[in-house]
Order: sequence, then C-alpha cells, then structure tokens
Amino acid sequence: MDKIYLFVWGALLCLPAMVTALAVETGRRVVIYDNLATEVAAPPTNFGTADPGVLWVTLEDLKRATQFVLKPQGVCRDELCFPIPKARRSAFLSEQGSITWFNLSEFARLLRQPAAFDAEQSVWYFGPRSDEQNSYVDSLIAPDFTLPDMNGKQHSLSGYRGKKVLLLTWASW
Amino acid sequence: MIVSVAQDTGGVKDAGKWIEAAKPDYPVLIDTQHLVTRLYNMVNVPTAVWINEQGRIVRPNEAAYVDNRLKAMTKLDAEEYLNALRDWVAKGERSSFALSEKGLKERLTPQNPDWAQAAAEFGIAEYFYRKRLEAASIRHYKEAQRLNPESWNYKRQAWALSDSEREYGTSFMKEVQKLNGKPYYAPRQLPEVKKQDQK
Repeated sequence: MDKIYLFVWGALLCLPAMVTALAVETGRRVVIYDNLATEVAAPPTNFGTADPGVLWVTLEDLKRATQFVLKPQGVCRDELCFPIPKARRSAFLSEQGSITWFNLSEFARLLRQPAAFDAEQSVWYFGPRSDEQNSYVDSLIAPDFTLPDMNGKQHSLSGYRGKKVLLLTWASW
Repeated sequence: MIVSVAQDTGGVKDAGKWIEAAKPDYPVLIDTQHLVTRLYNMVNVPTAVWINEQGRIVRPNEAAYVDNRLKAMTKLDAEEYLNALRDWVAKGERSSFALSEKGLKERLTPQNPDWAQAAAEFGIAEYFYRKRLEAASIRHYKEAQRLNPESWNYKRQAWALSDSEREYGTSFMKEVQKLNGKPYYAPRQLPEVKKQDQK
C-alpha cells in the first residue's frame, strides 16, 4: 500500500520528487555502530561507484548513528578527532545541493575498523577500531565491560578493582 | 573473586537454568553479544583470565576446567590448574604462575585483521538473529567461521541456534572427530612448580 501511495503521490507532483520518494522507499539502510542500530537515509546517487558496500550518509545521520561530527580539524567525537586526508577529501565528502554526504565505509578503512555488510538487507556493522581493540596488548590492563546478571543487575569488571579476579567464560551450547 | 560470564546469544533462556542449578555465590553475567570473547580475543569456553588488584592481566586466556569430568577429551588436568590458581591467590606477583610483563607481551598479540573482520561478521549475524532473519544470520555466521577457523565459539554458538546438519552440514561431534587427536584446547604452558615453592 505504501509503495503505491508513494508512486501516485510522486507522479502527481513531478518526476524529480518521484525519484526521490522511490530512492528513500527502497533505500532503507541500517548502520550498526558501537552496537547501536540506526536507520539512515540513502543518497540519491551512488557517487560513481558500483560497489554496493560503499556507505554514504548525511552529516546529520553520521551524528545520529556514530556521534561523529565534521569539524574544521577533522571528524570528531568529543576530544577525539580524525583529520581527513587532504589529498583524498573527495573520497570522504561530497556536496549534493544543500546536503553534504560522508563516506562512512571509507572512514572505517581509514580508522582500521572492520565492517561487515549485507547487501540483501542493506545493513552495515562497524566493529571497534584496531587501536581500541588492541590497546590492552600494550597496557596489559584487562579490557573493561559492563554486563547484566540474570536478574538484570549490571556489573562492571572495573568495579572489582582491589580484588584478584578470575574472569571465567562459559556457555550453555 | 570469580566473575563468570556466559557467552550465550540466547541469554537467560539458554544460560539461566545452568546458573540456577549452580547457585553461585559470585556474579554470573550474561553476555548475549559475546562481548568478552571479542574484547579478549577468546576462541573457546571455558576460558579464564587472571586479573590482579590493579586490573592488570596476570595470565591471559587459558582453558579453565575446575574438575576432571571431561579430562578424556580436554587432556587437561584440573587439579594442576587449581593448584596454580591457589598459589597465585596466596602469593600474588611472587607466584611462579604470575607472568612477568615480558611473559605477557609474548602471549598477548594484536588481533589479526581476519579475526577482526570475523568479529564484525559475527556481530552482524547476531543482529540478524535477534531480528529473526535466519538466512541472513547464517550467511554471516559462516563468514565469521571462515575468517576465524580457530574459534569454536563462533562455530558452536551458530550451530546451537539452528539445525547444524541442515544449515552448516556438520555437527560439534563430527568436528571434534576431525581433530583426529589434535588438542581441542591450546596447551596451557603452566610452569613446573619449583620444589622450594611447595609447602
């Protein structure tokens, strides 16, 4: 029903509006970042690439999905900033009318962040940056986590500082 | 103290009955996204890490059985491990089982890129599983298994969530038989206990 409605609505307006409506309708995309899933808008063009795994998002969606924002010094989240390589700026940013699109999959490559992509479902999953994942190899500090017990009470490993801890994983399977 | 963490996508539904039966007096956490496996680069269960009072790792990932019921398969002696653990609890950094910084650096290595990619594939598979998109979850569980063939966690969790014979063409018992005598767990490399340390 929604598709038919959009089609008729688009046809009634004019061709560009119809194309936009269909692009949004068929372009439902999900970005999973820091384990949080966010639906993002698809761009009207594929920016000259045939690779469906390339992910362009608006700056607004970038912030919603990842908390990163574009600043003069780079792409930043709180104190953390990653400069965009000057010579390759167009690989990361593209102005389309009043909207600036950002290439999140290219940014992941820059940050050495693994990304899994499913073309059929249009879902992108970004894992931790390599430096985050491997920081304990140098610091030797046990990576912290917070998880619930079966009653839903949250426990953090770091909450047990001052005691020796045997961290033990198991599974039902 | 013990911090126990279930690596179970099914959460309380799958892990709960084991926790209730054990009646533990220590926290048992439920990790539905296998976060601890990813953070510590683990490939199997049970795996334990020793962590000192300052939060520093003392011994990284090791197979950790507390009894010998499965010794025929694991080829690991629980008593030897428990004695090592008791020695560290009593002596702290002076225990011969507490690894030096050099010893730790030899054992802790950065995650290789294939394993990092495998963790992302496992992550997207878990997302699809939660969304009940079974076919999508299976294709990414398979990709995780391909990229990190050493991970029994990726295999066994995925097999447990569907008909493993139908979807993966194998089963846990078949894969164990394929090992053909090779150890299921990486050997532990516990040092010999020195005579003067034994009281």
